[in-house]
Order: sequence, then structure tokens, then C-alpha cells
Amino acid sequence: MELIIEEINRGHKLIGRQRFSQATINIGRGYQSDIILSDPHVCPNHLTIEFDGEHWLVKDNNSINGSFLGEGKKVADGHRLSSGDVITLGKSQIRVVFPHHPVAESITLSPFEDLINLAKHPVALAANICLFALITGWLIYLGNPREVNFTQLLVPTVGTTIMLAIWPALVALISHLTKHDARAFTQLGICFVFFNLTLLSDFIEAIVKFNTSSHMPLAALITILPIAIAFCMFWLNCYVGFHMSKKKRIVVAGTLTSLLFGGSFLIQMSKQPEFTTKPKFDTTLMTPSFLFTPASSVDTFVEQSAKLFEQADKEAKEAKEKKD
Amino acid sequence: MKRFIALTFLLLCTNVFAEEQAEVIFKQLAPSLYQIRLIDKASGEKSSIGSGFQITSDGVIATNYHVISGYARHPEKYRIEYLDHNGQKAILSLESVDVINDLALVKREVEQEMPYFKIAQGTPTKGEELYSLGNPHDLGMIVVPGTYNGLKKESFNDRIHFTGSVNSGMSGGPVVNKFAEVVGINVATSGNQIGFLVPHGKLKALFNAYEINPPKSIPFQMMSQLNANQMNLVDTLLENEWQMKRLGQSLIPTIDVPFVRCWGESNADKSDALIMIAAANCSIEENTYISNNFFTGSLEMDFRFMDAKELSDTKFYRLYQSQIARVSAGNKAGKDDVTEFHCQHDTVTPTSHAITNKSVFCTRAYKDFPSLYDVLYLGMSVDRNRQALISHFTISGVSQESAQEFTKKFVEAVSWN
Repeated sequence: MELIIEEINRGHKLIGRQRFSQATINIGRGYQSDIILSDPHVCPNHLTIEFDGEHWLVKDNNSINGSFLGEGKKVADGHRLSSGDVITLGKSQIRVVFPHHPVAESITLSPFEDLINLAKHPVALAANICLFALITGWLIYLGNPREVNFTQLLVPTVGTTIMLAIWPALVALISHLTKHDARAFTQLGICFVFFNLTLLSDFIEAIVKFNTSSHMPLAALITILPIAIAFCMFWLNCYVGFHMSKKKRIVVAGTLTSLLFGGSFLIQMSKQPEFTTKPKFDTTLMTPSFLFTPASSVDTFVEQSAKLFEQADKEAKEAKEKKD
Repeated sequence: MKRFIALTFLLLCTNVFAEEQAEVIFKQLAPSLYQIRLIDKASGEKSSIGSGFQITSDGVIATNYHVISGYARHPEKYRIEYLDHNGQKAILSLESVDVINDLALVKREVEQEMPYFKIAQGTPTKGEELYSLGNPHDLGMIVVPGTYNGLKKESFNDRIHFTGSVNSGMSGGPVVNKFAEVVGINVATSGNQIGFLVPHGKLKALFNAYEINPPKSIPFQMMSQLNANQMNLVDTLLENEWQMKRLGQSLIPTIDVPFVRCWGESNADKSDALIMIAAANCSIEENTYISNNFFTGSLEMDFRFMDAKELSDTKFYRLYQSQIARVSAGNKAGKDDVTEFHCQHDTVTPTSHAITNKSVFCTRAYKDFPSLYDVLYLGMSVDRNRQALISHFTISGVSQESAQEFTKKFVEAVSWN
């Protein structure tokens, strides 16, 4: 005849849990209650749960706002409880569970766990952030057409690094606010691993673009790489910060990824004029040491251009037909 | 002192003589001189004006193509009208055009035979006094005296260099010699006292062709003229000698024809520049007018040599890439005229293997003139660590064959020294 009562919030997240072995349990705002709810909509002596030797019965003590089953309007007074029932009192909710209530199956520890723990190791964390800052600073230096001194590089580098640290901090804050373990350093470690991977994927993309001609679709394929990296990062953010089902984790990570890329894609699309006289082509240039593919002959290049004339002809013809 | 007075008197005399002659010429020719107006049908107002002159007794009037181009391109939107010296207005029909030489023949209805301008047989001599007639800025018909200065050398299609004020609105007006014979047609100005005329021979040719076989469709006529001209132009460019010139450590081609003019620039005076840049640019400075926002017949060749001694390879290439941001067509054209550019890129080396370029080639088609294209090419050298050469050209209004041949010759010609 033991009974477990869970105090839960509106999102069915657990606030507190108590086990009782007596036959009468008082719930209310008054200090004499067995479970004290601080909700002002709850009466001092709101509700009593009694064991009649066989069943647990709910008794509402003429409370002002009443007691209801679940989210609905069904009055809880006199209800015979079954395990898992939720009772609403005022704006609070409690859930009643019997000792043999089934629980979900145990989840095996992910093999990522070791890697995740490695990312938060102070040395690894510092190394990752430093590596990212160094590469960012170097890229800023490379892109600057004038002589630059150390401070001029330091400010944008540190700025970028801090800006990017906001995301893991935000995730940690949300998981803290939703009663999860914050694990801020783990989030930070994971994010910077992936920021570095993004830099690596940019580099790979540049090599591929530099080495392939427009007749090879490989360059288009390579754009999937940063999307995959972002998805993995969001997935791990969820894994570390929140308890959620596999399916939900994939949905959340997928949504965030599509928001990130879909959003920037939409912005790009909206900026694009209906018609442009500017030619669009790839201008990736790298040093000669990164050129691995053999060069084509001028004849081949010129012959291949026949396809472009065909495409342009087709477009002109379609436009003409539309007009007529 | 006496001599001075005599001289002044003499000068006054010749001036008076010139004025008198101009007056006689004007009076005599006024009935055959018209203001040509393009009237927008929807608003009923004139959208452009020019001058024109009658060249037959039965009402054929010559003017510039650019005066009536609106009608040639959109006959449903405009009508052409004339205004004669008595203030009479009536509708004109478009008979024939020469888009390359900027000429057009329009026709009015006549009830009886009318006086008309005779076209000269020979060409004027250098220094000969000529009289340009026209209606500048809608101010009424005027006569401007000036001098014949021969043909303009830097022009692929012949233009007479006329020293005298040709103002806007005088376009299409005749230029006559003292016998009142037409020797040219006002077409353009290049500022104070420098005017350009279409030689009378072009008008004669257009009129003769019209008499034998009047064109059935103006757009088709324009297309064949554009096509013939581009073939002629590209052939001339390809047949003439391509001189190799040094630009920094590179060799670039320049075409030895007077109508392709070259200019150069460098940043040698900037001591804080990380990269030394020397640039050369060759182009045809004239183009063919098709309509207000649509030009063709242009050619530009651009070369940029870059050298950095004190930079790392990586930094040099990074800055090099940022130099490539803007490449566009050399001619003005809009959505109704052309398609968007279609581009390809590849690493390319000429037969000599003297350079390796990342090469880009783009083309767009003309919507109203099938088989004519604008093309552009961009070559970026990728085989030297701290030196680079950007080679670029763009030609407008060429056929696929011309474009490909020119590209082949150009890409083969550019190399390291």
C-alpha cells in the first residue's frame, strides 16, 4: 500500500517526488499537509488521498478551484486512482504512481560518450578553441590587402571566437532552465570541435572546386559536407543537453539545420533579382601546389563551350515563345 | 595699319560670303528638310526627335536609324511622323534600315513630284567647307558650317570627321557641299566642334539595295546586317597580326588595327601596395546602337599582371582571388534583349604549355536575333607562386563560330614571357 506522488509542471516535467506508506495523504498549501504546494490557487487543505484497504480514493475538501483528472474537466472527487493518474489542483499538477508502475527500458550508454567527455577535457577544450582562433586570425590576415599588426588581428579574432561561443552557452542555459544538466563545458567543447571541422570542410571544398571543371558535378556534392557537419553538431547538442527520444533528437537537429541553411538560402534567394546581367561562375583560386588535375587543351575547352551556346539558345527560344 | 584694315575687310568679306551661301543653300533646300518624330502611341507625345531629308521626288526620306529605332524594335508602341518647314505633320512608313551605319529610309506620301537632295558623286577634299543641316534641341531648322577632315581612323565602319557643331536633334540631317549635294549624314558628336558623319556612299548603297529589293522584314534585315558585320569584324581581327607585348613578366596580344585602341596603368607610385599591378586594356571604342539600352559590336581585352615579392604564396593567392570579383559584359543589354549568362570553367593550358590558367567562358544569346551572342572569357594563371596574370576579353554580337575562333586564338596567345 505504498504510493508515490510526483509533483510535475505543466510540461509534465518532474519537480519533486515523494513516497508515502501511510493510509491518508493530505495535499494543500497549509503547512500541516504531507505535500505542500505553494500555488496560490490551491487551498490550504485542498485534497486528501485515502487507502480504503483495497483502493486509493481521492477526496476533494471543498476546495475553491476544485480538483480535476488530467487536463480535462472531470472532477477528481471520489475517483478511484490507478497508477499514472494526473490530478490538477489550481494551476499545479501531481501524478500518482504505484510502486510497480512500469518504467522505460534502460538506454545503453552511447559510444560517443567517451569522445564527448574528451571534448570537455580542459586540455582538449583549450586546444580546440586556440586552433579555431588561430585559423580565424590567419584567414583574416590573408584576406587583408594591407599590412596589419597583431592588435588589428586580435580584435576580430577574439570577437569571432566569443560570438561563436554564444551558441553552446545558450544551449547549456536552456538545458539548465529545463531542469537538465547544463554541461556547459561539454557543449563548448563539442561546438568548437565542429567549428574546426567546418573550417576543414571549407578547405576541402576549395580544393575540390579548384581542381574540378564545371563539367564535373563533384563540386555540387561537396556542399553537403557543411550541412552534415551542422546536423551532427546539433544532434550532439541535444544528446548532451537534454533527455529526448532518438526520433525527437533527429527531428530537432534536422529542424535546426534546415533553419540555418534554409534560412540563409532563402535570404540569398530573396536578394537575387529576377534577371541579372552578371555572369555567375566559380572563382576559387589556390596556390599551384594544390592543383592536382591536369589542364585541358584550349581546343577541348572551346569545344565544350558549344553546350553553353545550346543552353543560351534554348533560354532565348523559351523566352521568345513565352512572349508571343 | 592700312594692311591690317585691308586684311580685316577681306576676312569680313569671306565671312559674309559664307553666310550668304549658307542662307541660299538653306532656302533652296528647306522644303526637302524634315524633323522626324517618334510618337508614343499611348501618350500621344513625341518620345524622340531627329532630322531627315528627302532623297527622291516620290517621298523617300533618309534619317538615322537611332532616330527611329524605337519603331524598328517596337512597331506596336510608336508611330513615325514628320514635321516639314511649313509646320505640316503626317505619318511616315519605315522602308529600310542600316543598323551598322546608323541609317534608315522612311517614306511620306506625296501628291506631286517634290524637290529633293541630290547625293554627291565624289568625296569631299580635306579642308572643304561643308554645311550641316538639322533641328538641334527642337529649336527649328538651322545651318552649321564646318570643315571636312577626312575619315576617322579609329573606326571600323567609316565615319567622316567633321569640324563643326553637330548637336542632338540634328541626327539624321544632311551635310552638303557648296553645290548642295549630300556628302554625309549627321550621326554623332564628341563635344565641342567635333562631329561625326556617315559617308554618303553608305546611304547610296542602302538606297540602291532598297530600290532593287525592298526588305520584307526589318528585324530580319537587322539580323543579317549584324551577322555580316560581326563576321567581317572578327575576320579582320583574326587576319591581322597579333603583336605580342610584354606586360610585367607576361606576354599579351594586341591586335594591330587602328580601331582597336589600347591604354595602360599601374600602381608603381603606391609604395605601400603589397602587390605590384600593371594593367593594359584594348578596346573598340565604338559600338552599334540597337535601342536605348541595347548596344552591340563592342570588344574589350583586359590584362592585369600581378607580382608580389614579399608575400607568402597563400596570402598572394587569397588577395589575387579577391581581385576577380567583377567581370561583366562590355555592352549594355537588358532582360528583353538577352538571356542570362551561361558559364563554364576549367584549368586550361595552351599548346605551348607556357602558362596554366583557370579559365572561365560565358555566353548569352540575343532574344530577337537568333545565332548572335555576347561572350566573355576570363583566364587566371595558377602556375606561379607569387605572380599572376588575369587575361580577359568580351565581344558582343558575334556568332558561335566567331566567338569560338576568337577565344581559341586569344587563349593560345596569352603566356608568360
